[in-house]
Amino acid sequence: MSTQLLIAALVQGSLYALIALGLNLIYGTMRLLNVAHGEFVMIGAYIAYWGITLLGLSPIIAIFLAIPFTVALGAAFYFGIFKRAMRSREFVERIEANSLLVFFGASIIIQNVTALLFTPDQRAYHYLEQIVHIGPAQTPISKLVALAIAGAVCIGAVAFFRLSTLGIAIKALIQQREASALVGIPVARIDMICFCLGFAVAGLAGVLVSMTEQISPYMGFPFTVIAFVVVILGGLGNMLGSLFGGLLLGVLETFGVALTAPSYRSIMIYAVFIAVLLLRPQGLFGTKRART
Amino acid sequence: MKGLLTAAAAAAVSLAFVGGAYAADPIKIGFSLPKTGIYAPAAPSQEQAYDLWRDQVNAAGGIEVAGGGKRLVQFVQYDDQSDPAQAAKIYEKLIVEDKVDLLLGPWGTPHHIAVAGVLERHKFPMVGDTAASVILRSMKPGYIWFPTSALPDEMGKQLPLLLKSQGVKTVAVTTAQYIFSLENKKYMMEGLKAAGIQVVAEADYPVDIKDMTAVITKVKAANPDAEISLSMPGDSVLYTKQSAELGLHPKVQFMLVGPTASFFTHIFGDKLEGLITMGHWSPSLNAKAKAFYDAYEAKYKDAPDYLDSSLSYESCEILQAAVAKVGLDHEKLKTEFATDTFDTIDGPVKFNGVVNATTPTMFLQYQKDQYQIVWPEKAATAKLEMK
Repeated sequence: MSTQLLIAALVQGSLYALIALGLNLIYGTMRLLNVAHGEFVMIGAYIAYWGITLLGLSPIIAIFLAIPFTVALGAAFYFGIFKRAMRSREFVERIEANSLLVFFGASIIIQNVTALLFTPDQRAYHYLEQIVHIGPAQTPISKLVALAIAGAVCIGAVAFFRLSTLGIAIKALIQQREASALVGIPVARIDMICFCLGFAVAGLAGVLVSMTEQISPYMGFPFTVIAFVVVILGGLGNMLGSLFGGLLLGVLETFGVALTAPSYRSIMIYAVFIAVLLLRPQGLFGTKRART
Repeated sequence: MKGLLTAAAAAAVSLAFVGGAYAADPIKIGFSLPKTGIYAPAAPSQEQAYDLWRDQVNAAGGIEVAGGGKRLVQFVQYDDQSDPAQAAKIYEKLIVEDKVDLLLGPWGTPHHIAVAGVLERHKFPMVGDTAASVILRSMKPGYIWFPTSALPDEMGKQLPLLLKSQGVKTVAVTTAQYIFSLENKKYMMEGLKAAGIQVVAEADYPVDIKDMTAVITKVKAANPDAEISLSMPGDSVLYTKQSAELGLHPKVQFMLVGPTASFFTHIFGDKLEGLITMGHWSPSLNAKAKAFYDAYEAKYKDAPDYLDSSLSYESCEILQAAVAKVGLDHEKLKTEFATDTFDTIDGPVKFNGVVNATTPTMFLQYQKDQYQIVWPEKAATAKLEMK
């Protein structure tokens, strides 16, 4: 039983971590509260669904369609709204509230346009459903593939932020935005890159989610909520924290539920969330941010 | 004085015009549906049944109004955004501002309950459809009626009897934390106890559950003869998917809400063979039922929902028959709904108070691409098949 739960926890946790990673990038660098993040996960899921249903494309290939599509949407948001808006002092002064409202509107529009285009029906496809046995546990191959890809991207992202120049520049921007500009980091360009990367990760996560569960135009919002919880758990702007936060939530959802009762799922998640906010407001892995 | 005369003449002319045009005016039928918001996935199966009925009636020259010949049907429809309070406001507007002639039901129990007060206040009779709750039994009779026979108290008695007839001795019960599921659980537990069936595993879970591994492994470990999943559509899909992945195959599987919707069969297809679910209609029931199924499928290239689509169409049929008999007068319609027996795609329907008194509580089983009525035996369209 515990191996079975461990697999479920890892699959769920790695997907949560991946979704939170995208949200954290956009929030960390630009302080934009992207409450439509889940909707971009949903778009990725629909691309995978239509890819396999209409064109017979493997979801793995759909990843390479979903990422450019969500990046293009991200770029449209960035250049259409935020690049201009961030020049206005009034907007930047209340950037979190303002961006929350912009994305909230976007979330409603995207959900309902998707429902209008594709009906609000739930959908799912069959892909790599062959069962493999791992010790006493069993799982479809599709879940292992989703876990492998999500895990690799999360670990790759952590390495990227530690080792590459761009990654370090992004981290610098997250930690000290004004100081970064002073030392010559091209803030506007990195903003744009992070914004698009955040959307790319959402698109990728959507494809992987569609491999493990059913999809619908309304699937996004719960992921947005979970991503926010993970980001707070791990520390705002802390990528390694997102990874551990996601896994922690996955473990809580499976082992916590198995040890207590499924009806305690939300209580456990929010109890941990509130405990972290009270005891370590900077997140489990966050460092206290200097006020600038 | 001259001006006054001119005005009076103009008024007389326009009145005559209005009077003349009136006979040709379409009949306005109002309703709200959740086109957006959390219940939006439920709207199409109901809306499409309404639309199909309207198109069929209009193709035949319109709806027969007692003493008034045929008149075309026109819908006045609004989005209630999945909010029952909004539905109540919309029905008020439909009656007061839009001055509709007739009303059809919104979607779901909370919306019907919210609208009932408005109907009562305006003394406007309406046959509801997609609502099912024991709460309906306690509603004040008068201006609303419900054709469903899938009420939790009766299902809680009948399903254990069905299971017992198949030699089931142990069950697992998993329940989504949603009012309809929980209501069913309450009566199901009583019924199982009365039938002497032992509950060997039990779990409640939130409807937005993302992973059911813990629930399913618990059920699998208890190895019950039958599994009763008191689920809602989203978790029905997740449960079916994950129980196949985790190798849970009980002899009998019951699932509450979801399986009768066409999206469910699109996802799982023949993997559903043998699945039992709630419902009291099947295209195999009679010629009218088959004609409705075929017309729906031809129009939408998709099967109707065995619950929502058939109930919605049924309420239209009842409305149509009543208007043909007594016309549009609300008090006469009220008496007609309350007293007559209506011939529908779900067989004869007569109301007792607010609920359907003729259609028995039934269960459906998926057999070769279609759901058949398998319980009670006297109403069955096919024999219950066991794995």
